[in-house]
Amino acid sequence: MSSAKKSDRLWTWLLLPGTLWMSVFFVSALALVVALSFGRTDELGNPRFSNTLENIRGILEWTYLRVIIRSLVYSVSATAICLLISYPVAYVIARHGGRYRNALVALIVIPFFANYLVRMYGWQTLLSDDGVVMKRLRDLGVSSDFHILDTAGAVIGGLVYGYIVFMVLPVYASLQRMDGSLIEAGRDLYGSPLRTFLTVTVPATRAGAYAGIVLVFLPAMGDFISAQLLGGPDNLMIGNLIQDKFFAGQNWPLGAALTMTLMLLLLVCMFAYLRQTARDSREAAR
Amino acid sequence: MTRAPYVSRRGLFKAAGASAALLGAASACAYVNPPGPRALPKKKIVPKVDGDLVYFNWADYVHPKVLKGFKAEYGVDIIQSNFDSMEGMAAKLAAGNRYDVIFPSAQWVQKLDAANQLYPIDHSVLDNAAAIFDYYDYFADPWYDPKSAHSIPFTMYKTGVAWRKDKLGDQLTGSWNDLWNDTANGHTFLLDDRDEVLGMGALLLGLDLNTADGDDLDQIVDKIDSLRPYLRAFSSDDFNNLLSGDAWLTQAWSGDLAAVIWEADDPSLYAFESPSEGSPVNTDTYAIPSNAQHPGTALLFIDYMLRPENVEKNINYIGYPMPVHGTEAVYDELMAPFPACKVTVDDLGEDLYFTNHGVDDTRARDDAYTRIKVG
Repeated sequence: MSSAKKSDRLWTWLLLPGTLWMSVFFVSALALVVALSFGRTDELGNPRFSNTLENIRGILEWTYLRVIIRSLVYSVSATAICLLISYPVAYVIARHGGRYRNALVALIVIPFFANYLVRMYGWQTLLSDDGVVMKRLRDLGVSSDFHILDTAGAVIGGLVYGYIVFMVLPVYASLQRMDGSLIEAGRDLYGSPLRTFLTVTVPATRAGAYAGIVLVFLPAMGDFISAQLLGGPDNLMIGNLIQDKFFAGQNWPLGAALTMTLMLLLLVCMFAYLRQTARDSREAAR
Repeated sequence: MTRAPYVSRRGLFKAAGASAALLGAASACAYVNPPGPRALPKKKIVPKVDGDLVYFNWADYVHPKVLKGFKAEYGVDIIQSNFDSMEGMAAKLAAGNRYDVIFPSAQWVQKLDAANQLYPIDHSVLDNAAAIFDYYDYFADPWYDPKSAHSIPFTMYKTGVAWRKDKLGDQLTGSWNDLWNDTANGHTFLLDDRDEVLGMGALLLGLDLNTADGDDLDQIVDKIDSLRPYLRAFSSDDFNNLLSGDAWLTQAWSGDLAAVIWEADDPSLYAFESPSEGSPVNTDTYAIPSNAQHPGTALLFIDYMLRPENVEKNINYIGYPMPVHGTEAVYDELMAPFPACKVTVDDLGEDLYFTNHGVDDTRARDDAYTRIKVG
């Protein structure tokens, strides 16, 4: 037997633990959610398998659709804001960071070592009506009716803060990989800085931005903590409803059906992303 | 040359799918088994150490010194875990976790008992049970557990309106209508709790507190929709909302307000009222799950918790009254500056409590609550 075959076999065996792990904790859990979305509940509120379409029909109500649309608006806004913030930040670090580059990246990443929930509680305390931020703003003459906590702005802000690192890192990586002489070439061809940025830098780093968009949008869409801690009654997101159904509502099947809907929606977005990156790499290969 | 057992991508997917299906099926059994009642535990239990105590409760709901004292006196360890909602507790039990002592609310005692998930508790084997049952008739035969045969009462509480006196004045009108307050617009909170919110609407409209009737629920949704423009949020964290200054006016639990008053720099800022339309009341209890491994230690623990000195420590720690004869003075003294927060067994006698519903009614009520929350 050739040694190439032997190493093939080794790799196969090495794949086994990971595959098992994913099947146990990911695929089977997912299968349970799918199966439960056709289920019902017993008198104790425990979920039972069944074959009813009641749950799927239940979510086609305006109440749920409105919340889904709202979640889409919030996550798209949060993703756009992340992109607008991350691009200049990553650009400055990648192109002008010099020997502090890695230190600067570390500075951006370090806050994310703290748990997301804890950071959101932090914002809740900071932004509360008698908190540090609002007190200063009122000293500066802002009306006492104005508040930040429990508004759409606070929820989107929470999402931006929560997930921005997933945008900064891929954008930074693509900017750093980009050949700096391309920009010089653009300038040599009498491109204005803006024109060079738009026609040279942006296309060259598009892949990083796409990856960042997906990495921010997907978790933001399913988030419930930001809306729960920083949002008011008009800022509920789909994640909150899912959580409500699983816990206080004691209606796991409806929660599972909502989860499936959310996943299908995200899959569509994911496919759009995969098609776009495939097209880009074909163009690059040409 | 033999063929190396190379696994193709397709093969890998297949294997993954198969093992997932197998495991899914295995774990799914929990949801397929007939929901019928478990077999009742036959063994009679006596208060005697039969192992360490596996304790399952809300966080911070018992004085740490009391727990320490039990460990020292009986030489057992207490293995603590906490739940953050009754539903969470029930889910853990349903998943087959084994605990020796749990603290279900009245509704959950009834539900768990209906599924035969609680040990019967013989009051005569407890030295200190008489201090409850000889003096508090209500608990001798409460609605949720005939003759308290499977539970021992722990605390009592009720729901009312809490507000900031510096913003809204010393007195409100003593009605749930006080929540519709123009001055507190944008600083008004409701508890994020289906029963409490629907119940408040029902009390205002003169409907049955636990109604699941479609028309009634529509009326309640409309009524509370008219409160939404005033609302800052649905949140059960009434304690922190008041202390942070976000809430000037909130639906609140009496015990939480007692805690706010102790924590606040200026306790004179806060007030509480029991609305004239009615204050829903509730009870938390001690119970022993039927799959407990150390029911004897659990019984011993309950008896220990009922000793007057421990009850007094706990009252001073959590601010909830406990129906144990001889400890009333401690609670009265504690609540003397805030008489409106006081809960007595007479409040329980008003029969304003949240009941359990069947699957369809629960769904109708949950649906109404979702409509209220989404707006």
